[in-house]
Amino acid sequence: MNSRAWTASGTVLLMLVVLGPVLFIVQMSVRSGLEAFRMPPTLVFSPTLQNYIDLLEGKFVRSLMNSTVTATSTTVLALLLGVPAAYAFSRARVRAQGLVSLWTLTTRMAPPIAFGIPFFLLYKDLGLIDTRIGLVVIYLTFNLSLVIWMMRAFFDGVPRSLEEAAYIDGAGISAAFLRIVLPLSAPGLATTAIFTFLFAWNDFFYSLLLTRSEAVTAPVAIVNFMNYESWEWGKVAAAATMIMLPVVALSVVVRKYLVRGLTAGAVKG
Amino acid sequence: MERIEATRDRALPWPAARRARRSWTRTRRLVFVGFVAPAVVVLVLVTVLPLLYLVVTSFTPLDLTNPASKRWAGLTNYRQLAADGRFWNSVWVQTQLSFWTVSLQMIIGFAIALLLNGHLRFLELVRAAFIVPMVLPPVVVALIWKILFTPDISILDWALGLLGLPQPAWLADPKLALWAVIVADVWEWFPFVMLMLLAALQMLPSDPLEAARLDGASPWQVFRYITVPLLKPTLVVAMLFRLIDSVKAFPHIFIMTGGGPGTTTEVTNFYAYLQGFSYTYVGYSSAIIVVMLLATFVMSLGVLRVAGREHDVE
Repeated sequence: MNSRAWTASGTVLLMLVVLGPVLFIVQMSVRSGLEAFRMPPTLVFSPTLQNYIDLLEGKFVRSLMNSTVTATSTTVLALLLGVPAAYAFSRARVRAQGLVSLWTLTTRMAPPIAFGIPFFLLYKDLGLIDTRIGLVVIYLTFNLSLVIWMMRAFFDGVPRSLEEAAYIDGAGISAAFLRIVLPLSAPGLATTAIFTFLFAWNDFFYSLLLTRSEAVTAPVAIVNFMNYESWEWGKVAAAATMIMLPVVALSVVVRKYLVRGLTAGAVKG
Repeated sequence: MERIEATRDRALPWPAARRARRSWTRTRRLVFVGFVAPAVVVLVLVTVLPLLYLVVTSFTPLDLTNPASKRWAGLTNYRQLAADGRFWNSVWVQTQLSFWTVSLQMIIGFAIALLLNGHLRFLELVRAAFIVPMVLPPVVVALIWKILFTPDISILDWALGLLGLPQPAWLADPKLALWAVIVADVWEWFPFVMLMLLAALQMLPSDPLEAARLDGASPWQVFRYITVPLLKPTLVVAMLFRLIDSVKAFPHIFIMTGGGPGTTTEVTNFYAYLQGFSYTYVGYSSAIIVVMLLATFVMSLGVLRVAGREHDVE
């Protein structure tokens, strides 16, 4: 084999290592009961959607709803608060930028339990344990500074002359921002929104700590579910497939910015 | 742009123009303060205050089952921590976990980035595949590997048996459990190192590489004396990010091993969780976290220092 063929076969092998475990759990989700674990594994089998049907008829639906509602609300709230701030930071040559990126980094890097303890104590007093609002608020700890940092980078890329032209035409600052800059930053806005959603959707720790039954999100529901019905791995696989599908789909859209989002705060836009 | 503004300022000596400009500046500042204020207020409320509260709690013997236990206890928790063998065990477990996951991710990520660099047609497809492990919900990653490491139901086990190799009960064996966690973590995050380095490799200037080749440098010499030094900032940033994230390990351990067998996979983060929420000693748990936060903060400063020097690392 020449070097090109080596690289090609190496790449295929590598993709198998990377995607194999994921495909394994997905195929498990469409097998029935004990069929999922028959060894040696049968390559040919009749797929069934029974696991998914069982899940959608049970309590898991509520957890999926909780995940959807909390992740979406977090995204909207973080954008409403963070986007104007990011614009001001981008245009007003404030020296606080270093501080913002330091804070972004610190909040993203702190182990979740650092916020978990004070929020748990506070929520106990306020009666916010096991509520969706409680989750949305704590998700702001890592998402608000992320929005400010990412949007600032996108706003920095919009030329200032466009706003100056708008001012000459008599527009105020807010109007120039809302009518000119924001529409031009739509792709950046979408990217930031997807990141925020992704981080809230993937959360496990806060939901484990701050919910009991009503507001349990899907990742924690899977774990509870495993304890009660430890033999039904097919259902666990189906639930796992359901919660990974949306994030994988969304991540493909923002893959260009993925590394930037994950290193948020470390690098100047 | 800045220069034009400066010139215009000097070109308008009339008092009326100057007044107009000053009032414009004032309005602008007011609007911007209005833009920033809500975010800053919320950020302070949800991040700064809780962290201060955490520090205060760490000086109390607060026990969740006994609300009256909220009083000042000075450095008692910290003194106890220094003498707590289980804490030091968790630091040692954490050190091993961090050392192996970060080293393996760096080596594998770097090697594969070098292997794939240049084959541009492949790259788009490969990149799309490689983002999957790192964006999966951590719970899903932990579940996948828990199944793969469970005897009887795992395809991995079956494959080992087929090859005539031993089929250990990975998660129940004190010698292997930490390795099972390491494997899951490396699988999830080596693509991150790879993607960062691939991006950096593509931005490398070609001149020094070609000049060296013309001067008769061997491929190894080019790699050792030109590629590696040029990639150093990216390597350092990737490493520090993986290092800091490795300290946050939680879902994998919670789901795969629960800290066991014994305390062989009990990292500091997990130990703090147990102290706070299984044994209800929230005050003591806070002290553990404060110590961890200080360590994380020092590492974060390191990232900023390094990344700040090299702007285009991405």
